Amino acid sequence: MNSKLKKYYPLLPVLVAYLILFLVGRNVTGIWQLVSTLLFYCALGQAFNIFLGMTGYVDFGYVAFLGVGTYGMATAVTGLAGYEGLGVGVIVIGFALAVIMATLLSMAVGAVALRLRGAYFAIATIGVNEGFRYLIEGANLWNGSSGMIFTAELNQILGRDLAGRVMTFWADILVLIIAVAAAVVTLLYMNSKIGYALTALREDEDAAKVMGIHVTKFKIIAFITSASFAGMVGAASWALKTPYVFPPEVFEIHYTIEAIIIVMLGGAGTLLGPLVGALIYGVSKYYLSIFLPGFQLFIFALVIIVIIVLFPEGVVGVFKGKVRNNRLKQFIL
Amino acid sequence: MIFEQLMGNIVQGLILGAVYGMATMGLSLIFGVLKVVNVGHGAFVMVGAFITLFFFNTLGLNPLFAIPAAFAVGLAIGLLFYHTAIKRLLNAPELATLLATFSAGVLLEESIKLIFGSEFRGYNWDIGNIDLGFTALPVSKLYACLGSVLIALLLYIWFNRTRAGTAMRSVVEDSEGARVCGVNVQGAYAMSFAIGIGLTVASGVLLTMFIPVGINPYMGGGYTLKAFVIAVLGGLASPYGAFFGGLVFGFIENTSYTLFAFLPGVEPFALTRFLSFMILLIILLIRPTGIIKAK
Repeated sequence: MNSKLKKYYPLLPVLVAYLILFLVGRNVTGIWQLVSTLLFYCALGQAFNIFLGMTGYVDFGYVAFLGVGTYGMATAVTGLAGYEGLGVGVIVIGFALAVIMATLLSMAVGAVALRLRGAYFAIATIGVNEGFRYLIEGANLWNGSSGMIFTAELNQILGRDLAGRVMTFWADILVLIIAVAAAVVTLLYMNSKIGYALTALREDEDAAKVMGIHVTKFKIIAFITSASFAGMVGAASWALKTPYVFPPEVFEIHYTIEAIIIVMLGGAGTLLGPLVGALIYGVSKYYLSIFLPGFQLFIFALVIIVIIVLFPEGVVGVFKGKVRNNRLKQFIL
Repeated sequence: MIFEQLMGNIVQGLILGAVYGMATMGLSLIFGVLKVVNVGHGAFVMVGAFITLFFFNTLGLNPLFAIPAAFAVGLAIGLLFYHTAIKRLLNAPELATLLATFSAGVLLEESIKLIFGSEFRGYNWDIGNIDLGFTALPVSKLYACLGSVLIALLLYIWFNRTRAGTAMRSVVEDSEGARVCGVNVQGAYAMSFAIGIGLTVASGVLLTMFIPVGINPYMGGGYTLKAFVIAVLGGLASPYGAFFGGLVFGFIENTSYTLFAFLPGVEPFALTRFLSFMILLIILLIRPTGIIKAK
């Protein structure tokens, strides 16, 4: 019994950190904006880590999943605005649609890309966000390059008061829930056959294959899981917080860069890493934008190169090494 | 009418394609020798474009003079980046070099943004047109095409006729064997990486002849994608394959733009870019080792 429960100890610091973040946000005036940004980075990092961290593959087109998730929510809100009495149900449908669309896109990309190894995989993904953006703009899907604005529909569905609360508060809570859920799923994967298979393939894909591990299957599982979380993050943090969507914004490679920074900074493949990375990145970006505006990405690009060359295991990875013979060990994963 | 337009497309496409091909040779060279994918490719192209701006707008010189300067800058950046980062990552998981080259691209973009700002710039180098009857060719584009072919030829000669070039090829064939024969393998790696980056930056100069007003720190993303389509067309590891891939791609891009323009209710420019992404996926699906076979 005890040993079974012990497997879930590493979740404790994660949950405590999110609780503290929430309480600080609620009780310190004027800080909710920052907390909301941090929650977005946490969720983005946790979702991205499920794929990059566990498989060692880089998806340079990751933001596309957030983008289609945003479109999923936008489609539900605009399409169902005319139906009376659905209320919050529309949001639920929106999330379902976001997940379905992100899953479909990840299956389509994964079907091509995940049969390929390392470098070729990265090449296949590098154009996914641009490709999808230009498909929407070029073929005039979802209003093409004019985008969709659905504040009025959201007001109509939820009523003006609730819609306002959703945009300023509940959307952030949903992002928090998504981040926690992604962390829980990460731990569940780590403790299961999936995690062992992914670790084996990350270390040596050929050896894993020879040992009889169906590597493509496990890569696809990680890819789809990661993508559907990204779709939900897009639906909550973009579609619900700011009820409009423009193709150049939601397929902006900038967010993929941020996801990479967060995961590598914190420690790829660790449970706590994305959270730590998101907090460090979010807070320092906030202060850099005040004291050294315009320099944020310049500095972080340098930081990432230094991390890759000198500490590829990231902050949590280094810390994990330090507490190896310590009682803290069972809480850090 | 249609025939003339098609002829125009073929000629314009091949001219652009030669430059695209040259712009991809650096990417293929680096992958061919070091098995490193330069994900920040487009950012290095962008640096070349800014060097052209500096030559033309600030110094008032012919943009063609910017080619050797851009190559030299590229060599320097390449050597610096190789010795500070890439060298240490060659035995690390592939993730490391992918993220390092990606971050180097971001670093270059941000540096240029901090120096020059992020607005779109351009220059106007009008030296007349050649009228072919069915289409008018700007002379500047013709120079860009000739420059690309010349650079490709020089690279070929360098690889096949010089000691350093043959040493580099021996490293590709069998790095252990090359080491035994007294080839400085580390040196060959550094040299290939630097030349690859040099070629890429120099290609930025040639590409500006086609987009005189579209120069900005973040212009590289599209070129990264195009370069990958072209490189994969030519087999990813072969610079000459890349050159022919460029010719094919230039033709496809130019023709598809004209054809999409006939469709009602679509934006041909955006669809052309979507098409290049689809071509990439299709090649990777059916033949990741490349469609065009060149040694």
